[in-house]
Amino acid sequence: MEKKKAADPVADINVTPMVDVMLVLLIIFMVITPMLTHGVSVDLVKTKNPVTMQAADKEDAILISVTRNGGVFLSPGNVKLSGADQLPEKVRDLLTNRVDKTVYIKADARSKYSTVEDVVDNLRAAGVNEIGLITEEPHENKTPQQAAADAAAAKAAAAGK
Amino acid sequence: MSMNVGGSKNGPRCDINMTPMIDILLVLLIIFMVITPLTPHGLEALAPEPPDKKNQTPPDQDRTVVIVIDKDKSMHINQEDTDMDKLGPRLEQIFKTRAERVVFVKGDPDLEFQSIARAIDVAKGAQIDKVGLMTPKLEAGN
Repeated sequence: MEKKKAADPVADINVTPMVDVMLVLLIIFMVITPMLTHGVSVDLVKTKNPVTMQAADKEDAILISVTRNGGVFLSPGNVKLSGADQLPEKVRDLLTNRVDKTVYIKADARSKYSTVEDVVDNLRAAGVNEIGLITEEPHENKTPQQAAADAAAAKAAAAGK
Repeated sequence: MSMNVGGSKNGPRCDINMTPMIDILLVLLIIFMVITPLTPHGLEALAPEPPDKKNQTPPDQDRTVVIVIDKDKSMHINQEDTDMDKLGPRLEQIFKTRAERVVFVKGDPDLEFQSIARAIDVAKGAQIDKVGLMTPKLEAGN
Protein backbone atom coordinates (compact mmCIF):
# COMPACT_ATOMS: atom_id res chain seq x y z
CA MET A 1 0.00 0.00 0.00
CA GLU A 2 1.88 2.87 -1.26
CA LYS A 3 0.21 6.06 -0.31
CA LYS A 4 1.47 9.24 -1.76
CA LYS A 5 0.60 12.47 -0.25
CA ALA A 6 -2.91 12.80 -1.59
CA ALA A 7 -4.51 16.01 -2.66
CA ASP A 8 -7.22 17.46 -0.47
CA PRO A 9 -10.39 15.38 -0.66
CA VAL A 10 -12.96 16.99 -2.94
CA ALA A 11 -16.28 17.34 -1.19
CA ASP A 12 -18.37 18.36 -4.26
CA ILE A 13 -20.17 15.94 -6.50
CA ASN A 14 -18.49 15.61 -9.83
CA VAL A 15 -21.14 17.20 -12.05
CA THR A 16 -19.39 16.85 -15.38
CA PRO A 17 -20.65 13.31 -16.18
CA MET A 18 -24.12 14.30 -15.04
CA VAL A 19 -24.12 17.29 -17.36
CA ASP A 20 -22.89 15.04 -20.16
CA VAL A 21 -25.74 12.61 -19.67
CA MET A 22 -28.32 15.37 -19.44
CA LEU A 23 -27.05 17.08 -22.58
CA VAL A 24 -27.29 13.81 -24.46
CA LEU A 25 -30.85 13.23 -23.18
CA LEU A 26 -31.78 16.78 -24.12
CA ILE A 27 -30.46 16.34 -27.64
CA ILE A 28 -32.24 12.99 -27.98
CA PHE A 29 -35.57 14.56 -27.00
CA MET A 30 -34.98 17.56 -29.25
CA VAL A 31 -34.34 15.29 -32.20
CA ILE A 32 -37.21 12.90 -31.47
CA THR A 33 -39.89 15.55 -30.86
CA PRO A 34 -40.30 16.77 -34.46
CA MET A 35 -40.11 13.18 -35.71
CA LEU A 36 -43.08 12.12 -33.64
CA THR A 37 -45.58 14.42 -35.33
CA HIS A 38 -47.21 12.64 -38.21
CA GLY A 39 -47.89 14.40 -41.46
CA VAL A 40 -46.82 17.92 -42.20
CA SER A 41 -47.24 20.51 -39.51
CA VAL A 42 -50.31 22.65 -40.04
CA ASP A 43 -52.22 25.17 -37.95
CA LEU A 44 -55.06 23.09 -36.61
CA VAL A 45 -58.52 24.40 -35.91
CA LYS A 46 -59.15 25.05 -32.24
CA THR A 47 -62.33 23.32 -31.17
CA LYS A 48 -64.04 22.94 -27.83
CA ASN A 49 -65.45 19.42 -28.00
CA PRO A 50 -62.91 17.14 -29.62
CA VAL A 51 -62.47 13.54 -28.55
CA THR A 52 -59.09 11.96 -28.05
CA MET A 53 -57.94 10.08 -31.09
CA GLN A 54 -55.31 7.76 -29.80
CA ALA A 55 -55.32 5.74 -33.01
CA ALA A 56 -54.23 8.73 -35.07
CA ASP A 57 -50.92 8.66 -33.24
CA LYS A 58 -50.07 5.15 -34.39
CA GLU A 59 -47.22 4.64 -36.75
CA ASP A 60 -49.42 3.12 -39.46
CA ALA A 61 -52.43 5.42 -39.08
CA ILE A 62 -53.67 6.75 -42.39
CA LEU A 63 -53.47 10.49 -42.13
CA ILE A 64 -54.10 12.96 -44.88
CA SER A 65 -52.70 16.41 -44.32
CA VAL A 66 -54.14 19.37 -46.17
CA THR A 67 -52.01 22.48 -46.12
CA ARG A 68 -53.12 26.07 -46.43
CA ASN A 69 -52.11 26.34 -50.07
CA GLY A 70 -54.02 23.21 -51.03
CA GLY A 71 -51.24 20.63 -50.88
CA VAL A 72 -52.34 17.10 -50.00
CA PHE A 73 -49.99 14.78 -48.15
CA LEU A 74 -50.55 11.13 -47.35
CA SER A 75 -49.05 9.48 -44.28
CA PRO A 76 -47.52 6.93 -43.57
CA GLY A 77 -44.65 8.03 -45.70
CA ASN A 78 -45.67 11.66 -45.87
CA VAL A 79 -45.94 11.57 -49.65
CA LYS A 80 -47.04 14.69 -51.45
CA LEU A 81 -49.85 13.93 -53.83
CA SER A 82 -50.34 15.94 -56.97
CA GLY A 83 -54.07 15.83 -56.40
CA ALA A 84 -56.72 14.26 -54.23
CA ASP A 85 -57.72 11.99 -57.12
CA GLN A 86 -54.67 9.83 -56.38
CA LEU A 87 -56.10 9.00 -52.98
CA PRO A 88 -58.59 6.18 -53.68
CA GLU A 89 -56.01 3.83 -55.14
CA LYS A 90 -53.38 4.45 -52.47
CA VAL A 91 -55.78 4.45 -49.55
CA ARG A 92 -57.44 1.26 -50.75
CA ASP A 93 -54.02 -0.40 -50.73
CA LEU A 94 -53.34 0.82 -47.23
CA LEU A 95 -56.76 -0.24 -45.97
CA THR A 96 -56.52 -3.89 -47.00
CA ASN A 97 -56.43 -6.27 -44.03
CA ARG A 98 -57.32 -3.55 -41.62
CA VAL A 99 -60.05 -3.66 -39.03
CA ASP A 100 -60.19 0.01 -38.21
CA LYS A 101 -61.09 1.76 -41.44
CA THR A 102 -60.89 5.26 -40.01
CA VAL A 103 -58.85 7.77 -41.97
CA TYR A 104 -57.69 10.97 -40.35
CA ILE A 105 -57.70 14.34 -42.04
CA LYS A 106 -55.38 16.94 -40.64
CA ALA A 107 -56.41 20.10 -42.40
CA ASP A 108 -55.07 23.57 -41.89
CA ALA A 109 -57.59 25.92 -40.32
CA ARG A 110 -57.39 28.23 -43.31
CA SER A 111 -57.28 25.65 -46.07
CA LYS A 112 -60.10 25.87 -48.56
CA TYR A 113 -63.02 23.63 -47.79
CA SER A 114 -63.20 22.57 -51.43
CA THR A 115 -59.85 20.78 -51.00
CA VAL A 116 -61.12 19.02 -47.89
CA GLU A 117 -64.36 18.12 -49.67
CA ASP A 118 -62.34 16.72 -52.52
CA VAL A 119 -60.32 14.59 -50.11
CA VAL A 120 -63.51 13.34 -48.44
CA ASP A 121 -65.04 12.48 -51.81
CA ASN A 122 -61.98 10.54 -52.85
CA LEU A 123 -61.81 8.78 -49.51
CA ARG A 124 -65.39 7.68 -49.93
CA ALA A 125 -64.45 6.31 -53.31
CA ALA A 126 -61.78 4.28 -51.50
CA GLY A 127 -64.42 2.79 -49.24
CA VAL A 128 -63.79 4.94 -46.20
CA ASN A 129 -66.80 5.82 -44.11
CA GLU A 130 -65.34 7.05 -40.88
CA ILE A 131 -63.25 10.15 -40.89
CA GLY A 132 -61.44 11.82 -38.04
CA LEU A 133 -60.93 15.53 -38.43
CA ILE A 134 -57.87 16.31 -36.36
CA THR A 135 -58.30 19.50 -34.38
CA GLU A 136 -56.69 21.11 -31.40
CA GLU A 137 -58.11 21.53 -27.96
CA PRO A 138 -57.51 24.98 -26.51
CA HIS A 139 -56.14 24.46 -23.02
CA GLU A 140 -57.50 27.64 -21.49
CA ASN A 141 -61.08 26.65 -22.28
CA LYS A 142 -61.00 23.68 -19.99
CA THR A 143 -61.33 25.33 -16.61
CA PRO A 144 -64.13 23.73 -14.59
CA GLN A 145 -65.70 27.12 -13.83
CA GLN A 146 -66.01 27.95 -17.48
CA ALA A 147 -67.42 24.53 -18.30
CA ALA A 148 -70.01 25.03 -15.56
CA ALA A 149 -70.81 28.52 -16.88
CA ASP A 150 -71.20 27.14 -20.40
CA ALA A 151 -73.51 24.41 -19.20
CA ALA A 152 -75.60 26.93 -17.25
CA ALA A 153 -75.81 29.24 -20.27
CA ALA A 154 -76.87 26.37 -22.51
CA LYS A 155 -79.51 25.34 -20.00
CA ALA A 156 -80.81 28.89 -19.75
CA ALA A 157 -80.93 29.21 -23.53
CA ALA A 158 -82.78 25.90 -23.81
CA ALA A 159 -85.25 26.90 -21.11
CA GLY A 160 -85.84 30.30 -22.72
CA LYS A 161 -86.94 28.83 -26.01
CA MET B 1 -4.92 22.21 -4.39
CA SER B 2 -5.98 25.76 -4.19
CA MET B 3 -3.70 28.67 -4.37
CA ASN B 4 -3.88 30.99 -1.53
CA VAL B 5 -4.22 34.53 -2.74
CA GLY B 6 -4.74 37.53 -0.61
CA GLY B 7 -4.95 35.61 2.59
CA SER B 8 -8.50 34.40 2.08
CA LYS B 9 -9.17 31.03 3.54
CA ASN B 10 -10.47 29.15 0.53
CA GLY B 11 -8.89 31.11 -2.24
CA PRO B 12 -10.70 32.11 -5.47
CA ARG B 13 -12.76 29.39 -7.16
CA CYS B 14 -11.50 28.74 -10.61
CA ASP B 15 -14.22 26.29 -11.83
CA ILE B 16 -17.46 27.25 -13.56
CA ASN B 17 -20.51 27.38 -11.36
CA MET B 18 -22.46 24.43 -12.70
CA THR B 19 -25.66 24.74 -10.68
CA PRO B 20 -27.55 27.30 -12.83
CA MET B 21 -26.52 25.47 -15.96
CA ILE B 22 -27.86 22.20 -14.60
CA ASP B 23 -31.07 23.97 -13.61
CA ILE B 24 -31.62 25.23 -17.12
CA LEU B 25 -30.73 21.88 -18.64
CA LEU B 26 -33.19 20.08 -16.41
CA VAL B 27 -35.97 22.51 -17.27
CA LEU B 28 -35.30 22.13 -21.01
CA LEU B 29 -35.20 18.38 -20.63
CA ILE B 30 -38.54 18.35 -18.83
CA ILE B 31 -40.10 20.67 -21.44
CA PHE B 32 -39.11 18.35 -24.26
CA MET B 33 -40.26 15.30 -22.33
CA VAL B 34 -43.68 16.84 -21.72
CA ILE B 35 -44.16 18.00 -25.31
CA THR B 36 -43.59 14.51 -26.66
CA PRO B 37 -46.73 12.62 -25.62
CA LEU B 38 -49.34 15.15 -26.84
CA THR B 39 -52.16 12.92 -28.00
CA PRO B 40 -54.08 14.11 -31.02
CA HIS B 41 -57.63 15.27 -30.63
CA GLY B 42 -60.25 15.36 -33.30
CA LEU B 43 -63.86 15.39 -34.36
CA GLU B 44 -65.40 12.24 -35.70
CA ALA B 45 -67.23 12.63 -38.97
CA LEU B 46 -68.77 10.30 -41.49
CA ALA B 47 -68.67 10.23 -45.23
CA PRO B 48 -72.14 8.95 -46.03
CA GLU B 49 -72.82 6.76 -49.01
CA PRO B 50 -75.13 8.23 -51.63
CA PRO B 51 -78.60 6.70 -51.56
CA ASP B 52 -78.96 3.79 -53.91
CA LYS B 53 -81.45 4.91 -56.51
CA LYS B 54 -82.88 1.50 -57.30
CA ASN B 55 -83.66 -0.40 -54.16
CA GLN B 56 -83.79 2.10 -51.39
CA THR B 57 -86.54 4.39 -50.30
CA PRO B 58 -85.34 7.96 -50.05
CA PRO B 59 -84.68 9.04 -46.46
CA ASP B 60 -87.47 10.83 -44.72
CA GLN B 61 -86.97 14.44 -45.68
CA ASP B 62 -88.68 15.80 -42.59
CA ARG B 63 -86.33 14.09 -40.23
CA THR B 64 -83.07 14.86 -41.99
CA VAL B 65 -81.23 17.80 -40.49
CA VAL B 66 -78.77 19.56 -42.74
CA ILE B 67 -76.62 22.45 -41.56
CA VAL B 68 -75.77 24.61 -44.53
CA ILE B 69 -73.00 27.17 -44.27
CA ASP B 70 -73.00 29.77 -47.01
CA LYS B 71 -70.16 31.72 -48.52
CA ASP B 72 -70.82 34.65 -46.18
CA LYS B 73 -70.68 32.25 -43.19
CA SER B 74 -74.42 32.54 -42.61
CA MET B 75 -75.94 29.31 -41.45
CA HIS B 76 -79.17 27.49 -42.04
CA ILE B 77 -80.62 24.44 -40.39
CA ASN B 78 -82.65 22.99 -43.24
CA GLN B 79 -84.49 26.16 -44.31
CA GLU B 80 -84.26 27.99 -41.02
CA ASP B 81 -81.76 30.82 -40.62
CA THR B 82 -79.40 30.57 -37.67
CA ASP B 83 -75.90 31.57 -36.64
CA MET B 84 -72.95 30.13 -34.75
CA ASP B 85 -74.32 31.16 -31.33
CA LYS B 86 -77.84 29.91 -31.85
CA LEU B 87 -76.81 26.72 -33.62
CA GLY B 88 -75.98 24.70 -30.52
CA PRO B 89 -79.16 25.43 -28.52
CA ARG B 90 -81.32 25.00 -31.62
CA LEU B 91 -79.76 21.61 -32.37
CA GLU B 92 -80.27 20.54 -28.79
CA GLN B 93 -83.89 21.58 -29.04
CA ILE B 94 -84.40 19.70 -32.32
CA PHE B 95 -82.78 16.52 -31.07
CA LYS B 96 -84.27 16.57 -27.59
CA THR B 97 -86.91 14.03 -28.54
CA ARG B 98 -84.93 12.04 -31.05
CA ALA B 99 -82.98 8.89 -30.51
CA GLU B 100 -80.92 9.05 -33.67
CA ARG B 101 -78.77 12.14 -33.46
CA VAL B 102 -77.49 12.64 -36.98
CA VAL B 103 -76.83 15.88 -38.81
CA PHE B 104 -75.36 16.56 -42.18
CA VAL B 105 -73.04 19.47 -42.74
CA LYS B 106 -72.77 21.14 -46.09
CA GLY B 107 -70.32 23.99 -46.51
CA ASP B 108 -69.61 26.32 -49.36
CA PRO B 109 -66.41 25.21 -51.13
CA ASP B 110 -65.00 28.73 -50.96
CA LEU B 111 -65.06 28.80 -47.18
CA GLU B 112 -62.08 28.10 -45.01
CA PHE B 113 -62.03 24.72 -43.35
CA GLN B 114 -62.20 26.26 -39.88
CA SER B 115 -65.74 27.57 -40.42
CA ILE B 116 -67.01 24.08 -41.11
CA ALA B 117 -64.92 22.56 -38.33
CA ARG B 118 -66.37 25.05 -35.84
CA ALA B 119 -69.91 24.16 -36.92
CA ILE B 120 -69.13 20.46 -36.48
CA ASP B 121 -67.63 21.30 -33.12
CA VAL B 122 -70.83 23.06 -32.05
CA ALA B 123 -72.86 20.10 -33.25
CA LYS B 124 -70.65 17.73 -31.25
CA GLY B 125 -71.15 20.01 -28.28
CA ALA B 126 -74.91 19.59 -28.74
CA GLN B 127 -74.46 15.83 -28.26
CA ILE B 128 -74.85 14.94 -31.91
CA ASP B 129 -73.36 11.49 -32.37
CA LYS B 130 -72.98 11.38 -36.09
CA VAL B 131 -71.99 14.18 -38.40
CA GLY B 132 -72.09 13.44 -42.08
CA LEU B 133 -70.14 15.55 -44.53
CA MET B 134 -72.15 16.45 -47.60
CA THR B 135 -69.85 16.79 -50.57
CA PRO B 136 -70.52 17.77 -54.18
CA LYS B 137 -69.98 14.26 -55.49
CA LEU B 138 -72.33 12.86 -52.88
CA GLU B 139 -75.07 15.16 -54.03
CA ALA B 140 -74.40 14.21 -57.61
CA GLY B 141 -74.96 10.62 -56.49
CA ASN B 142 -71.59 9.10 -57.25
